[in-house]
Amino acid sequence: MRAEAQLLKGHLDTLLLASLEDGPRHGYAVKQALRAAGGATFDLPTGTIYPALRRLEAAGLVTGTWTEDGGRRRRSYALTPAGRRRLAGDRAGWRDFASAVTAILEPAR
Amino acid sequence: MTSPLIDSYVAGLHRRLPAALAEEAAGGLTETYEHHLAAGAGEQEAARAALAEFGDLTTVAGEFTRQAPGRSAARLLLATGPVAGGCWAAALVLGRAWTWPVPAAARLSFGAVLLVAVLALLAAATSRHSYQRTRLAAAASPAILALDAAAVTAALAAAPALTPALGTAVAASLGRIAVTARMLPRLAAR
Repeated sequence: MRAEAQLLKGHLDTLLLASLEDGPRHGYAVKQALRAAGGATFDLPTGTIYPALRRLEAAGLVTGTWTEDGGRRRRSYALTPAGRRRLAGDRAGWRDFASAVTAILEPAR
Repeated sequence: MTSPLIDSYVAGLHRRLPAALAEEAAGGLTETYEHHLAAGAGEQEAARAALAEFGDLTTVAGEFTRQAPGRSAARLLLATGPVAGGCWAAALVLGRAWTWPVPAAARLSFGAVLLVAVLALLAAATSRHSYQRTRLAAAASPAILALDAAAVTAALAAAPALTPALGTAVAASLGRIAVTARMLPRLAAR
């Protein structure tokens, strides 16, 4: 597995929560949102998004509901209040971490 | 609009996973395939591209298995088991439980059910590729709940006195009963 894929896997939960921040999405739309924002960097097997969403659901961070749209049944996911809190915490943690790493890797000359 | 490659993958999902999970993942794969068709790819080419993007069946079914509710329930029960077991061992030894009026058949069947339930939980907790195996937890968890309840009932009925050690063991079992009872609906649902 490439290094980016490994890193991505570690942050997958946060990225999935972030992709639901603007409103409910189904699995395929989540995949497209990640792809649109991250391009080829987010090159993970997209089939693994579905079990990851189920894991977030079991943890109470998202809720899933079946919806029907043009004869196609899809499972749509929305953030719960706990999911929003988790996302805010993860985001703050990531900012601190990223700025610390940047300060070390790219010191002001 | 479908292809034999996609169909056989979808059949594989349905073989390995509960219907709702398989349906959701299959829907995502079909959409990916249709996306490639709409972008102008031929049937074969679109199917290959969609499958490459989606990941192989072992990986996808394996991820579903790792998040299966039965697997985490089994892990929780196995992790708390030694604590409850230790409390009971201490209480029974201190209370000289071998002198209590509990029939040998009852003791034996308790032990046998416990052994089978723990083996089933071990199988569910260590499953990496078989979702089916995680469902053993749905059968083993009510058995564990019943064992905790039986232990509490028998001890309170047969013990000559409620010692602090016995009280601790009873509390440990009641706690596990509460946790197990909360998990059961989710385990039964899938």
